[in-house]
Amino acid sequence: MATEARVLKLNEVAPRTIGRSLLLTLPIALWSFLMFSHSGGTSRSGKIASVLTAVFMIVLFFMMMRTWNTYRWRRWFFVALGLLFPVGFIHNVMVMRGTMGIPIEEMIAGRTPFCYLPIPLLILPAAFTKTLVFPGSILPGGGMSEAGMAAMAGLWLAITIVVGKGWCSYACFFGGIEEGMAWVPKRAKLRKIDPRWRYLPWAVLLAMVLLSLALFEPAYCMWLCPFKAVSEYVAARNTVGLIQNGIFVVLFAGLVVVLPLLTKKRTQCSFFCPFGAFQSIFNKTSVFDVKIDQTRCSPCVLCQNACPTMSLTKESIARGETLMSCMKCGACVDVCPKHAAVWHIKGTEVAKSPERARLMFLYAAWGMAIMFGGSVIAQGVATILHVFV
Amino acid sequence: MLGFYVAGSVIFGEALVLGLASGPACMASCGPVVVPSLLAERAGLRLNARYLSIFLGSRFLGYLLFAAVAWELRALVSLPPGPRMVLFGVIHVLLAGVLLWYAYSAGHACAQSCSRSELVSIGVTGKRGVPGAAALGFLTGLSLCPPFVAAGVRAAELGSVAAALLFFAVFFVGTSVWFVPFVGLGCVARNEAVTTVARMAMVLIALYYAYLGMTMLLGRKVYGY
Repeated sequence: MATEARVLKLNEVAPRTIGRSLLLTLPIALWSFLMFSHSGGTSRSGKIASVLTAVFMIVLFFMMMRTWNTYRWRRWFFVALGLLFPVGFIHNVMVMRGTMGIPIEEMIAGRTPFCYLPIPLLILPAAFTKTLVFPGSILPGGGMSEAGMAAMAGLWLAITIVVGKGWCSYACFFGGIEEGMAWVPKRAKLRKIDPRWRYLPWAVLLAMVLLSLALFEPAYCMWLCPFKAVSEYVAARNTVGLIQNGIFVVLFAGLVVVLPLLTKKRTQCSFFCPFGAFQSIFNKTSVFDVKIDQTRCSPCVLCQNACPTMSLTKESIARGETLMSCMKCGACVDVCPKHAAVWHIKGTEVAKSPERARLMFLYAAWGMAIMFGGSVIAQGVATILHVFV
Repeated sequence: MLGFYVAGSVIFGEALVLGLASGPACMASCGPVVVPSLLAERAGLRLNARYLSIFLGSRFLGYLLFAAVAWELRALVSLPPGPRMVLFGVIHVLLAGVLLWYAYSAGHACAQSCSRSELVSIGVTGKRGVPGAAALGFLTGLSLCPPFVAAGVRAAELGSVAAALLFFAVFFVGTSVWFVPFVGLGCVARNEAVTTVARMAMVLIALYYAYLGMTMLLGRKVYGY
């Protein structure tokens, strides 16, 4: 403990000047103004929520610039997103439908809101049969599907090609819940985790893709998605429906609440989520990654312990890189006392301009976070404020 | 004689075209069984081709057995719902069991000797058990997939059990063409990650088949809506 405290002290650097931090924050402030100036609708609560959210995002980015740290400020945004998404979403479904359960009639009419999680399951059936096995609307205007599946999928693809699995740290509506849970305890009670559990998301992805093709339905949504517990699910009209909903609740309680509290890791993301495994593939397309500068590394393995998704091992550190499951959250970079873990742009020299790499990544990721997650946060805040204003 | 020849050609052509047209559906419904089990085997095009041959051969036996028994029971087109649910419930539970056993055996097979180019066997450790491909192929052959039903309806209209079996055999050849690309999985390098993912996927798929089988046996609805 004392050694860790001394190491953390060594890691501290003088903050960036306020003027320079403000200058670097200016593009994000302009982007926030653009995104939030016409949002919020006509209601007072909506407008206040938009302003609060914009200020929130700008202040967090300013602190990222001022303190040279990424992870701890990003975490505030991400946890807020995870907590406020269910607030806004559940409120909307209750207003429109009166229940979180989707009646089969709504599904047949194609009015199920599209979620990005089943994207990998839709590819093979679409390729073989030109059919999307999701009961939503491709184009806007399908009831609750405001943007339409095409817009959502296009947005996802564009963002993912740039940030890779950074989606899981800056866009996922659900990851913030378990990141918040992992934040709560001071120390992990369960420290020894078999590294082979890291293969399970790929197994879930393989099984769900094959079953979706065989059954012609999004199998993960029907059977295994833990986040049905905080969004919506197929209305249970018989024993089987009850079993399905029971599975969702048990998985949510175990993977999203209990295990993060015990391990201080993002257990659902690391050990279960098939979409996360799919996103890992796009770490190959993204130009941004995190490297370990071997000339500076001790190795003290503080980065390995700090990583919320077990994306650093002794072998990968020796190779100077993270595993492909890296979510680009910045935890390892921020904790490294020797500044050996650095942000990096592919094709450039490691550790030559790490801050430039971080800035370029953050402009992309934070810009996307404002557009996507920021609107969700604003909606959640507006929902709460509506009670009072 | 000429009439017999023409009739035979018509049956042959029709069965083959039906098989080729239904092949993608066969591939999709067998995929959850074939893909993970292939990935759990060792790498190599020859080994994977051998696996597929055994799988398809056993699947063919399952087809013929089902067709012959159903013909004798005059149930090729309409099996009563009660016995049908029990039959397919049992098949699905057995399939789940074999998948779990296969996943376990695949882990042990590699632990003993990864360099041997033999297929994974299920059975008593240390003795020559049944190749997993044979057991899985036979059970998938017994379970009714939509293309099988389509072939069964047509075969039931033929005059004799021999003609029906011939129809099924040619239909089977047509569907099997679509399985050839699976041999390409032999090019995927096998390491701890790939085989562990494959075995875990088999367990998940086995759980789903077990659920399907149990709900059929209990006579309950399979879907929740």
